[in-house]
Amino acid sequence: MSDTTHAPAKAAPHRTPRAYLWLAGSLLLLALPFYLDRFWLQAGLFAMAAAIGAIGLNLLTGATGQLSMGHSFFLAVGAYGYCVFAGESGEENGRQLTGLGLPTWLAVVLAVLLAGAAGGLFSPIAGRLRGAYLGIATLALIFIGQHVLFNAGDLTGGFNGRDVPVLSLFGFDFDDTEVVIAAVPFGSSEKLWYAGLFALLVGGLFARGVLRGRPGRAMNAIRDHRIAAGVMGVPVARYRAAVFVLSSMYAGLAGVLIALIFQRTVPDYFGMILALEYLAMIVIGGLGTVAGAVVGAAFVALLPQLLTHYSDSLPLVADPGSGGVTPGEASRYLYGAAIVAVVLFLPGGLTRLSVPMVRRFSREKS
Amino acid sequence: MTTFVELLLGGLSMGSVYALIALGFVVIFKATEVVNFAHASLLLAGGYVTAVLHDDIGFWPALGVGIAGAAVVGSAVEYTVMRRYRGADHSVLAIVTIGVDILLTTELTRRIGTDVLALGDPWGDKLLTVGDITIAQTRVAAFVAAALLITVFLLAFRYTTWGVSMRAAAENPQTAALMGVRLGRVSLSAWAVAGSLAAVAALFLTVFPTPGLERATSLAALKAFPAAILGGLDSTTGALAGGLIVGVTESFATGYQSDLTFLGRGFGDLAPYLVMVAVLLIRPAGLFGTKELARV
Amino acid sequence: MKRRARHTNAPRTGAALLVVLALALAGCSGKATEGDGKGEDAGGVKTGQGVSDKTISLGVLTDMTGVYASLGKSVTQAQQLWADQTNKAGGICGRTIELTVRDHGYDPQKAVAAYTELEPDVLGFVQFIGSPFVAAVEKRIDGQDKGLVLPQAWSANLLGSPYVRVVGATYDIETINAIDYLLGNERIAKGDKIGHVYFEGDYGENALVGSEYAAEQAGLTIVEQKIKPTDNDMSAQVAALKKAGVKAIVISAGPRQAASLVGVAAAGGFNVPVVGNNSAFAPQLLATAAGPALMKDYYIASSTLPIGSDEAAPKKLATEYAAAYPDDGLDNGVVSGYTAASLYGEVLKKACESKDLTREGVDKALLGLDAFSTGFGITHDFSDPAAPSTRESVIMKPDSKVPGGLKVVQEARVAEPAEGFTFGG
Repeated sequence: MSDTTHAPAKAAPHRTPRAYLWLAGSLLLLALPFYLDRFWLQAGLFAMAAAIGAIGLNLLTGATGQLSMGHSFFLAVGAYGYCVFAGESGEENGRQLTGLGLPTWLAVVLAVLLAGAAGGLFSPIAGRLRGAYLGIATLALIFIGQHVLFNAGDLTGGFNGRDVPVLSLFGFDFDDTEVVIAAVPFGSSEKLWYAGLFALLVGGLFARGVLRGRPGRAMNAIRDHRIAAGVMGVPVARYRAAVFVLSSMYAGLAGVLIALIFQRTVPDYFGMILALEYLAMIVIGGLGTVAGAVVGAAFVALLPQLLTHYSDSLPLVADPGSGGVTPGEASRYLYGAAIVAVVLFLPGGLTRLSVPMVRRFSREKS
Repeated sequence: MTTFVELLLGGLSMGSVYALIALGFVVIFKATEVVNFAHASLLLAGGYVTAVLHDDIGFWPALGVGIAGAAVVGSAVEYTVMRRYRGADHSVLAIVTIGVDILLTTELTRRIGTDVLALGDPWGDKLLTVGDITIAQTRVAAFVAAALLITVFLLAFRYTTWGVSMRAAAENPQTAALMGVRLGRVSLSAWAVAGSLAAVAALFLTVFPTPGLERATSLAALKAFPAAILGGLDSTTGALAGGLIVGVTESFATGYQSDLTFLGRGFGDLAPYLVMVAVLLIRPAGLFGTKELARV
Repeated sequence: MKRRARHTNAPRTGAALLVVLALALAGCSGKATEGDGKGEDAGGVKTGQGVSDKTISLGVLTDMTGVYASLGKSVTQAQQLWADQTNKAGGICGRTIELTVRDHGYDPQKAVAAYTELEPDVLGFVQFIGSPFVAAVEKRIDGQDKGLVLPQAWSANLLGSPYVRVVGATYDIETINAIDYLLGNERIAKGDKIGHVYFEGDYGENALVGSEYAAEQAGLTIVEQKIKPTDNDMSAQVAALKKAGVKAIVISAGPRQAASLVGVAAAGGFNVPVVGNNSAFAPQLLATAAGPALMKDYYIASSTLPIGSDEAAPKKLATEYAAAYPDDGLDNGVVSGYTAASLYGEVLKKACESKDLTREGVDKALLGLDAFSTGFGITHDFSDPAAPSTRESVIMKPDSKVPGGLKVVQEARVAEPAEGFTFGG
């Protein structure tokens, strides 16, 4: 927390408790794989992947004001890109698959770059469109993506998806062969937990750097008033394209992580519902900030799991098939209501909850 | 040749239904600058009311109640949610409508459950045959109803006080408000109109040749997105043109699937979106949309 | 929603972390001390995951709020009925059966999460809807979990695993049998074209493998029409097939698509027989406008007798199910769910006899089961994991007068080409 120059007088009393909070939080996160079941670790991993993707979307939609409904397309590019780069050519489920067989770390990097390139390819269109037009044009990406995933069988495995090669770093495999650490057997979820944390940390810090520096101010200027930003000397078109590419790269990284968690790509996953979920995440958490994306992602990814897991002890939630509101439906009600409620009553998202009222300030549009 | 004409007619009639849905989008967008993703659930609500009531009170009254019901749901959404938003970012409001859509759709699908509900329409599976061309009567009815409604709407938009205030609100909300246009009412009526148009569309989406209303019916509203964008989000003419283009494109892409295998099978769903992207590349505001003029 | 980029995110981030932690800690368990739960009870029966002295837990991964909601509901309720009946009759191996149900709403993430959640606590899964999700966890099932999973899907892609076992003929075999029915009744002949309307995905594409094989054997030509589950109006497909001059249509899609296809074809005077796979029919359709057309010249191939059959077992099940769930209609999901559950029960009994209720014991018991029948018309053989449990199909025809809406027109049999069909080719 070095950059509290904004309010130096206030910073001093805040520093110590905040540092402790960070330390405690980090330790706890690092310790979790030793205590939690695979189910909860997996839920946490899904939340981490979602958080990385949501950070990317928040850069694009939250900070720069470009509505994107095609985020899941870039996740798919990342997930499938990783499989193609790292996978071996060969037959799987009676289908001939193409793979380049590269080292997995390189495949991760290339998959992220590929997602960025896909974003770059779309940016001529993105650069010409605004607001709702851009939102619905990006919806086209999802339909194109689904079509390709189901039809380009030798790359994607078609409806079957394809096996995701195990991530391997410096000879350490993130697979299900058990490694016993401190009497706790480590499977793929425990190992991936740390990879996910690392990816989220790097992604989060980088995005925070972008948002807090010059580019972030330029992006917000574009969001708030595109033409004024241009007049002030912000290269609007270049920024918009660059943010689109960056956001796609985040989605690509999230896609790689999702693929590693699933251990197999499922084409149905990368559809419109997922893209809408990402939009819900950034709105619920808070637009334009890294923390907002992370909180929103945790909320959207964990809520259904919690409701389902504790459905037995929750009032008003009935067992599936008994005619009442099922856990699946209950979580959809809550999640829909959360979007509406947050926007109406908590503009700024859940992350605003912890900010003292004094520091809250809003700005009227010029 | 017969196939060509049949596909064309089928596409046009389907397209006119899409146009009805797209018109709803456009009306809301014009009045409030919000893209309404909750449109699918308005459609489902209208269809559901009609389907539930037609056995007891007959088809036409049920349809009337369905249209009114969807209008009420639409206005309720506007009144309880959209109006309460104090920010200025319309993308955020668009995302709110996603939340509303999730709420409404979950409730409606829970009620519909696993049923396939008939709407009790008078056309059944009867066909109209002219020469060697046959087309379902429901499709003719869809085309006629859509044409009628769209005409009525365009006229109302041009000549009634309501239409003038709506256009004024679309042009410049502040000035319109100063001139005495009640923006709240304009936006409320826009949502009501969109709801009732969606209810009519729901009828034609669920009658023959589709088996009936069920939980996935609302997905058809997705086809109206490219339709509305293609034509231009703030253009009523555009909604009509966009709907027809989407309908015809889809129909041809499906009907001539065997000749288009190099694109991969199942291309029909994708085709409208590709047309949309192509149009947007050339005309970023759609075919009939007004180009944004910026005030600094 | 306008605001400046601000500098102090940390308290919020910290709070966010705490929320995550609080949520996560709620599910805490003594992980390091956990063994594999293996043991032996007083009667010398070896037990493992999901089996205690009093209960046997089985998982149900179903879809009651997504695209397969109607199937999921019937299957799950039928399995619940089976569990209740079994428990009333004293349970199995002195233990009661407990079903833990998770509804994934056909969402891959929820499905995989639900599998991960239930896997450590159940012996196996008596239902798993959504073959893409089964495929997603198959590596884990084969690699370490090794619990017996009975998917409610009949795709040949699921064959080959000793733990994921398809109950009934796979879609390819079913399609071959369906086409053979048309050939046998001289509705089509060598040289004819037949249309195949199929879903994108493993169901439709697996059925297509079957129809292509059957066509090759019988000298037919297939005219393909691929559709998506969101397509509800088959006018364009019918127009295209009519243009191609097909003599019959195979449909491997959902009930709605079948109803639309048959309805459109009949209304347009395009009178060709239509055959569908077991998933291409739902009794609710008979009440819609397409009802009369469906009853005219539409046939369904399936690996069970219909619930409306006069045989003793379907009749008994229909009565009992109607008594337990008076508000819900009867359909073939009830039969297939009940069959899968009964199979699980049979396997558990065998495993109990060999005093081994662990997952290994259950798997071994299943491999030894080569003539399983519950009176639903077909005898299943589970000794070969690479083949479906049967190659027979019953051909049925919609009839609104029968409960469940289907009556048998041809008893279970294997078509000659289906005998020689090899999987995964």
